[in-house]
Amino acid sequence: MTTGLVVVSHSRALADAAVALAAEMVHGKDLALEVAAGLDAETFGTDAVAIASAIAAADRGDGVVVLMDLGSAVLSAELALDLLEDPDQRDRVLLCPAPLVEGLVAAVVAAASGAGRDEVAAEAVAGLAGKESHLGVAAPVAVTETSAADVTASFTVTNPHGLHARPAARLVSEARDAEAAMEIRNRTTGSAWVPASSLTKVATLGALQGHEIEVRASGAHARQAVDRMITLAARAFDETAPPAAAQETGAREAGAQPASPGIGIGPAWHLRDSIPDIPDVPSQGPDAERRRLDQALDDVRAEVRRLRTSTGGGEAGIFDAHLLLLDDDDLLDDARTRIAEGTPAPQAWEAASSRVAAEFAALGDPYLQARAADVRAVSGQVLRSLLGVTATPSSGTGVLIAHDLTPAEAAGLDPATVAGIVLAAGSPTAHGAILARARGIPAVVGAGAAVLEVATGTTIALDGRTGETVVSPSPATLAAFAGRATEQAGRRERALSAATGPAVTPGGVTIGVGANVGSADDALAAAANGADHAGLVRTEFLFLGRDEAPGVDEQVAAYRAVAAALGGRRITLRTLDVGGDKPLPYLPSPHEDNPFLGVRGLRHSLAHPALLADQLTAIATVARETPVSVMFPMVSTLAELHAARRALDEAIARTGPGRPPGLQVGIMVEVPAAALKAATFAPHIDFASIGTNDLTQYALAAERGNPAVAALSDALDPGVLRLIDATCRGVGSRATVAVCGELAADEMAVPVLVGLGVRSLSVAPPAVPAVKEAVRGASPDGLARHLLDLPDAAAVRAALRQPGRVSAVSTARVSS
Amino acid sequence: MNAAVLTAWLTEFARLVSSHRDLLTELDSAIGDADHGSNLDRGMTAVLATLEKESPPTPAAVLKRTGMTLVSTVGGASGPLYGTAFLRMATAAGDDDTLDGPGFAKALRAALDGVVARGKAVAGDKTMYDALAPAVDALDAALADGQPFDEAIDAALRAAEQGREATTPMVARKGRASYLGERSAGHQDPGATSVTFLIAAAAATLSG
Repeated sequence: MTTGLVVVSHSRALADAAVALAAEMVHGKDLALEVAAGLDAETFGTDAVAIASAIAAADRGDGVVVLMDLGSAVLSAELALDLLEDPDQRDRVLLCPAPLVEGLVAAVVAAASGAGRDEVAAEAVAGLAGKESHLGVAAPVAVTETSAADVTASFTVTNPHGLHARPAARLVSEARDAEAAMEIRNRTTGSAWVPASSLTKVATLGALQGHEIEVRASGAHARQAVDRMITLAARAFDETAPPAAAQETGAREAGAQPASPGIGIGPAWHLRDSIPDIPDVPSQGPDAERRRLDQALDDVRAEVRRLRTSTGGGEAGIFDAHLLLLDDDDLLDDARTRIAEGTPAPQAWEAASSRVAAEFAALGDPYLQARAADVRAVSGQVLRSLLGVTATPSSGTGVLIAHDLTPAEAAGLDPATVAGIVLAAGSPTAHGAILARARGIPAVVGAGAAVLEVATGTTIALDGRTGETVVSPSPATLAAFAGRATEQAGRRERALSAATGPAVTPGGVTIGVGANVGSADDALAAAANGADHAGLVRTEFLFLGRDEAPGVDEQVAAYRAVAAALGGRRITLRTLDVGGDKPLPYLPSPHEDNPFLGVRGLRHSLAHPALLADQLTAIATVARETPVSVMFPMVSTLAELHAARRALDEAIARTGPGRPPGLQVGIMVEVPAAALKAATFAPHIDFASIGTNDLTQYALAAERGNPAVAALSDALDPGVLRLIDATCRGVGSRATVAVCGELAADEMAVPVLVGLGVRSLSVAPPAVPAVKEAVRGASPDGLARHLLDLPDAAAVRAALRQPGRVSAVSTARVSS
Repeated sequence: MNAAVLTAWLTEFARLVSSHRDLLTELDSAIGDADHGSNLDRGMTAVLATLEKESPPTPAAVLKRTGMTLVSTVGGASGPLYGTAFLRMATAAGDDDTLDGPGFAKALRAALDGVVARGKAVAGDKTMYDALAPAVDALDAALADGQPFDEAIDAALRAAEQGREATTPMVARKGRASYLGERSAGHQDPGATSVTFLIAAAAATLSG
């Protein structure tokens, strides 16, 4: 393939010199490169006729990339396209916005290596990246406003894998939230405009790192919509860490890649193809078939939301991408059109999703190609729902062998029985692999189709850290793998055995270290990590992603399951903590300009007394069986607490005579006013649990998710520490003060909290062992109170890193 | 209007450009790269030579040769802009041997559309559009109002002159002048000035 290049410049001398510079890179390789520059050797200017001739000369049928300097060069090049007589030739030409010198060097290298037109253009545009990176300049963002109703802007993709599923999903949901019609295109590849609200369309842009993406919007709120999108792009679409690609190598099958660390040994079992056979049943009429599809889509949405909630953490974004696919106009319109034409729903859905998956698979980038697996995963789920086929039994015992793994299948695997995973296909960045890591199941991917032939029951040994997979290992090999497994298990065991012991400070104070949980599975993990209790059970998991509120019986069963998973340790059930930012479909709430300062937490529950009564009835029922604390979120006034306690008393009366013996009642301290009024609340509560995340945001008036103010929102700000101190002193000995925000998991902060009087901490289950160790090492040197006088969070962190110098630091900072 | 009449129009335009070459260059030196006068003069000189040598037979042929010659000889942004304008006029003029008043107005409207398509300028960007657009509007309005072509083209010239004057306080948003930002205000736009010569030449040479 020979991609032609045309250099358009005002100056013949400039063009010739740029070409000479670029030619040094390729040492006489064959290039189709033409220059159209200057009116003659001396006169500056551009000539559209000459450019058209140069394009015709450079075109060998594989496309032409035109690089231009400025001003009339661009206008003349555009006019030159009009002058080309052959419309096919015109279509093969791409006017590239890359800078001339850097772009030409990059383009020449790419073209000499046989790259196609779009790739050459992409390389040319990325040619500036090296200089930008060296000089530390942020990618430029250009905004132009052509009229009040039509705003365009552009950004450069910084995400390492481009706009792959998660950043693309974030972009699409932003576009859907916007009160304006938004379109985007990939300027680097010269793509067409596509709706920014369609995930499949956005993904087909093939937007890679360094590509320039244009955004345009129309409508009354176009300006705000575009601004928000550019801001989001500047935050790399909130992609916190690039999807990790395992890098280690070792003795292993060619192509196999480590995907999730750990040793897995066990008998092979197979996950059969998850796409069910579609029976040949004629359409029952477009209306019926369409209702059938809509019902299946609804069911799968609910299922995905359930998985999303129970998975939690950074992996939730995978399911967000799936939810967007289930609402994707491109996909749904295609399926519905086929249904309208008389095709039964399963066939229509299969055809539409196959087309979209094929579009992904045809993209040039391996990472985007892997997104085809997302479409197939969602497609299979919807098909199973349409056909009423039960999902493939998702958990067996031993080493799972499969072609690939959908996120739903990976999320359904039981780490207790699945010793490991070997996938014939897949990549370490595929969602199934990410979930395997999150669930702690060792995995090797890309092992090749041969593994699918391994008979069920054959022993498999795999090392998810090196990618080694051994079928029918020899006794010696097996012993080596078993040795590694024993060693790793021993290390984990030692950490865990320490974790199950109590956390006592050197000064002899016992601190309860509990876990924050959002499901019975979380509670199992909490118990395994040695949690003393559940300091926060987020009951939202029962209420979200469904069309009606859970009944009392369902709630009782769920709370019981959490308590059982924790082996009867105390569970702190927080009443429903939602607000206008995430309204429940069965409880429509009026629009609020600022839902974080609106009807949320306890305010929301008091506004929906029947919902609260059901939840408290369930809590009171379970409290008669097992130690339970009930916790009301977002309390601001004593009147609110009284109202909540009255509702609790009524619920208790409904569940039987007398009070459940172990029932404790507490509030969350998230509102600064509540912290300062702790003494007011103290006589009416058994505990106060400080939610440091919200308390910090409210105290510093800075939202953590807003990058412009995120640095302000630091829980170690002395202002926040003073609120924690005020809570502890206000409550005194009348109640226990706990912390259930992220600050409690900050090992550096643990001694400070303990020093201020906090007696209970609750953190994510995996953090429990480390927090217990931090409690055991907390030095009782009265350091905490000094910190309150420091000027800012940075000074607090500095003092905590060098505790011996705290007084000097304090004095110096205050006097400076 | 036949090919000879249009050639007379272009000859008058070339004369106006040539005699105001220094003015155009001076205006461009304040806010651009000081080449508008010399570029356009070079282009129109080449156009006259081409028309004299080839004597294109129809209005469309005259306009097309003019456009193609400008594209290859002006060098600056006015090359593709004026070139596109004349090429679009040629297409709009069709194959007839003569153009009537409405036919010329239609061609001039096509020229304006071409300038917009090529330069992506809108009103207030401080470009040739700011003089050409009001001229085309005034020409259409006057003809629709039943005025004879002579009066209509005079109205177009007055509109172009007003549009040209209005560019002085504008801040440039297109082309090299846009690099100057606020500093471009206070200078009359050279492109609006030269296109007003084009209309002035039409008013002097054309009659319906």
